[in-house]
Amino acid sequence: MKFNRKNIGKTLKNRVFSPLYLLLAVILLCSHDLYIKLDTYFLESGQEATLSLYNGTFETSENTITRDRMLDASLLFQGQRLNIDASQWTDKDSTITQFKFTPIETGTYVAGVSTKARNIELTADKFNNYLEHDGVLDMLEYRTDNDLLNQDAVERYEKHVKAMYQVGDDKTDDWKIPLGYPIEFVPLANPYETYTGETLEVKLLLDGEPLSNQLVFADHVEGTHAHRHHDHGHHEHEHHGKKHKHDEGKQDHDHDGKKHHKHEHNDNKHSHDHDHDGKKHSHEHKHDDAKHKHDHDGKKHTHEHKHDDAKHSHDHEHDDGEHSDDHNSKKHTHTSGQQLRTNDQGIVTIDLPHDGIYYLRTIHMVPVTDSDELTHQSKWATLTFEVTHEHDDEAHTHDHEHEEGIPNWVFIVSSLLIIGLLFLVFRKKK
Amino acid sequence: MKHQHLKQALFLLLVALPFLGFAHDVTSADQELLRHGGLWAYIRVGATHMLTGYDHLLFLTGVIFYLNSFIDILKFITVFTIGHCITLIGATYAGITANEHLVDAVIALSVLYKGFENLGGFEKLKVKSPNLLLMVGLFGLIHGFGLSTRLQSFDMGQEQFLAKILCFNLGVEVGQVLALIPIVFVITLSRKHKQFPAFYKAVNWYLVLAGVGLFVYQLYGYFNGHH
Repeated sequence: MKFNRKNIGKTLKNRVFSPLYLLLAVILLCSHDLYIKLDTYFLESGQEATLSLYNGTFETSENTITRDRMLDASLLFQGQRLNIDASQWTDKDSTITQFKFTPIETGTYVAGVSTKARNIELTADKFNNYLEHDGVLDMLEYRTDNDLLNQDAVERYEKHVKAMYQVGDDKTDDWKIPLGYPIEFVPLANPYETYTGETLEVKLLLDGEPLSNQLVFADHVEGTHAHRHHDHGHHEHEHHGKKHKHDEGKQDHDHDGKKHHKHEHNDNKHSHDHDHDGKKHSHEHKHDDAKHKHDHDGKKHTHEHKHDDAKHSHDHEHDDGEHSDDHNSKKHTHTSGQQLRTNDQGIVTIDLPHDGIYYLRTIHMVPVTDSDELTHQSKWATLTFEVTHEHDDEAHTHDHEHEEGIPNWVFIVSSLLIIGLLFLVFRKKK
Repeated sequence: MKHQHLKQALFLLLVALPFLGFAHDVTSADQELLRHGGLWAYIRVGATHMLTGYDHLLFLTGVIFYLNSFIDILKFITVFTIGHCITLIGATYAGITANEHLVDAVIALSVLYKGFENLGGFEKLKVKSPNLLLMVGLFGLIHGFGLSTRLQSFDMGQEQFLAKILCFNLGVEVGQVLALIPIVFVITLSRKHKQFPAFYKAVNWYLVLAGVGLFVYQLYGYFNGHH
């Protein structure tokens, strides 16, 4: 039996410790990614949806986005670009900025938000930590190689984010149209015509030109459109030849021998063990009043801190809540998942091993040499979309428990036969 | 005249049985319906689940077979309803769940139990039979837990969580009432026939066999993963 809601102890702990963690988060001030998220990325025509700006991690938003920061907010569908007016945004819980809309026309939609640049001043240590934890590894290497690790930084950063979602069944070509942001991801195929088990090529554009040799991180979470499987003792299925097995309270995946990704979930422990492109990366989370520890081969990276259901912070830094590495108890997303690098054409190939909401992130940073004020300039980009498995009308093979139970006709016929037979027996006996 | 009653009863039984044929077909189509259909979808899926859940209906059939008056039927069904409401709402809200096969195996035992009791099994074993109303209440709790486990197998999201549970529960009650109408009708008609004792025995022996069969089936599913 599992007990995963209304855990009184946990609730009390949340109430007692959450404010402390929040306070810690404010004090430590870490880096914030910006994502556009939807409740579901598969909508029906006429279905109201909410587009949420998550400023923090993919799971937790720490701050709203003030309207004066938005340089552009647009929806792209059926070849038209619709500007989202500042007045149409609302703030929820002072952490999430939202836009509610009801799409009527079917198609593949693109939503984009571009923010103004801001400056942040960081001590050398904090800047180095941020580079490491946020995956700006090329700049860290540059500073290391050039003996600049002791140099404080003044960074100008700007964020340009996109989401793609599907309304109805019609697939349109809006996904391939760049929004013209200073940095942006543009897929080379419609994510909604790309299915679980396949790969998706995405081009990264910097000022409209392909950006090569840039680090990109891609990860995913379970999507709202994913099929849920029932909670049995164990659970095993295959996606395109990639075996995937779950045990109760434990998730253990092994895909095509390349990547090893191990999860263990129970009330107290949550651990990850990944192998990304030769760089081993393991996480161990322990919840409740426990610790949280990460290890990276080669580049050691260790966090040890307490957290419960609420939030916890890494020892990163940053301005007005704009850079933060806060996250809730379950996920740590800044550099988790696939670590990729764009090729000469600025293209990365994303593996899509599971149904789920995929999110890509990159931070392109360059040193600034011609300014008295700035030392660095960065442009941040994210892209979110949802992937599901292909629904083939002719060969639809969901492995649902209830769809493969006792065949209906067998049950009816056998029931009637048994009752009829028994009736005859008992009548004769009498 | 009496032959006529039995024929009517058997005819209604044949008409009602196909509903059982949809038994437990709570599928990805239901998930889609729940995702896009709002609270109304929860009522609809709850009703569908009850109308097509043969284990629940077989148990109710066993309960009603034993009872002669409408007041008794109302009383026992009310107790069963209270029982399954408690666990359906409580367990779902609290996120308490268990292996679905094991829960369904216990529900199968409730069907077996009812058939066994109706056939006077306890008397034959010279054992005092447990309080029937109490047992119906207890089995109501178990059936409710089964319904809760099924409901929790869906992605319900976080919004209007309690409202969704209550709507599913409402749907279950609507489905139960709709299922009870033909069951009560068939049993009432059959009582007037002189062959009723044979029919009574046949149906209750069927409940025993179905209970055993479903129990074995669920255990097989549990031990073999069944995916």
